[in-house]
Amino acid sequence: MSMLYPLPAIVLLIAWYIFTASDPKRQFVFSSPQKVFDTLVHLLSSGALVRDAATTTFEALAGFILGTTSGALIGLTFWYSRTVAKIAQPYISALASVPIFAIAPMIIVWFGIGVMSKIMLAFLSTVVVAIVQSYQGSMSVEPRILKLMQVLGASRNQVFRIVVVPSSLIWVINAMKLNIGLALLGAFIGEFISSEQGLGYMIVKASGLYDMATVLVGVFTLICIALFLTMIVGKLEAWLLRWKHA
Amino acid sequence: MATTLGSKLENKTILSAAKVSFTYDPQPGDKSAVEWTFRDLSLQVREAEIVCIVGASGCGKTTLLNVIAGLLKPQSGSITIASAENRGRAIGYIFQQDALLPWRTVRANLALAEELRGGVFKRGSKERLARYMDTFNLKEQILDQFPAQLSGGMRQRVSIIQSLMFDPQLLLLDEPFSALDFYTKLRLESEFCRLVKEQRKAAILVTHDLDEAVAMANRVYIMDLNGNLSHEFEIDLQQNDGSVEAARGTPQFAQYYSAIWSELKSVIAN
Repeated sequence: MSMLYPLPAIVLLIAWYIFTASDPKRQFVFSSPQKVFDTLVHLLSSGALVRDAATTTFEALAGFILGTTSGALIGLTFWYSRTVAKIAQPYISALASVPIFAIAPMIIVWFGIGVMSKIMLAFLSTVVVAIVQSYQGSMSVEPRILKLMQVLGASRNQVFRIVVVPSSLIWVINAMKLNIGLALLGAFIGEFISSEQGLGYMIVKASGLYDMATVLVGVFTLICIALFLTMIVGKLEAWLLRWKHA
Repeated sequence: MATTLGSKLENKTILSAAKVSFTYDPQPGDKSAVEWTFRDLSLQVREAEIVCIVGASGCGKTTLLNVIAGLLKPQSGSITIASAENRGRAIGYIFQQDALLPWRTVRANLALAEELRGGVFKRGSKERLARYMDTFNLKEQILDQFPAQLSGGMRQRVSIIQSLMFDPQLLLLDEPFSALDFYTKLRLESEFCRLVKEQRKAAILVTHDLDEAVAMANRVYIMDLNGNLSHEFEIDLQQNDGSVEAARGTPQFAQYYSAIWSELKSVIAN
């Protein structure tokens, strides 16, 4: 069964090769597997791809960690006060409804064209999901367990530490899974609008020159980064939620 | 119907509920219009005694347990629970489904008492744990397992031990054995009865299973649809080994059962 997983990719690669090999005009628009491979080797040997990929990964990861951690903390502490959570709700909804593209120029003006603005965009893309998911998690604690803790005379802080935080971990991890893509998108949009390095910068520059091979190398690298980060979150999930799969 | 068991008078009263009234009505201002879950309810439970409450669904049995546990505040009346050596609110509450923390190992679940009470029971807690594990036929190997790795019966045993680690004088049980298979249920019922007698605990058991009520309890109450403990039955099927299986085999068992059942039927019908 697992042997079949690469099959669609191989079929697509062969179809792409056949489609572009016969006609150089098609190669101009769609590039070709051979060209993309050559460009990949070239960009790797020059160090440009590693530098740009590292920049984007750093921006996305920093924003992801910052956004998910602070969002989870805010969302979980809302458990202490439903009133505060209710007051915060419209603000969170408002922030969630604004497309990150719309506020990106403003963030770049505020934080400059360096990595800081991209980290901020990745942060803003991820923080809302983390707040909403972790608050939902904190409100979904098994009532039976809360009842028991109350009977046993646990303080609110003890209930929070012993029950609410660990039981919300599933929700926080779900937020992490969603946030990988959002953090990369935030960093990428920042680079796309204004930057001096990163995969967004590489793709914008290459597409301006109709260098489809470089664009595709950038896209594939982004996919690889996303898959790598997803794998790390998967490992983290398996470890944190080992009691579920025991 | 109510009589007093003379032989048990020397036993200390653990729970004394006097004229307790409770309503879910948020503003019970106009007393005549209030729909009381129960009103002026009184109940006493002594040490080494299991009191069982049976009644139709929704009559207020679980609400009564919640009021006794302090989860709900009664509008009037008083509830006094004797606690050993001033150990605070000494109550254990066991539900139909276990309330173990699924992300914690059995060992960490059983250490909850120490954790919540800042090590008050540290001395001797290991010995107590070993004793309870032995009483409830649990092997030490399960201590490092997660609740999801245990059977329903084992989880419920761990749940009972978790409550016992707080050294409660009063145990509240809300249909704790109803989700178990028949054999596990019998064993656990016997183990629990033995524990209550040996450790001089008091227990209130809410159940829909009349068989269980008669086999385990010293007293059975029927709660009617107005929340009154309308009928009281003294049960005397004392088995020295606490075996509910042996209790079920006695000739008196069927008599108690049919007496309670006929009253319960008329209460539900009314």
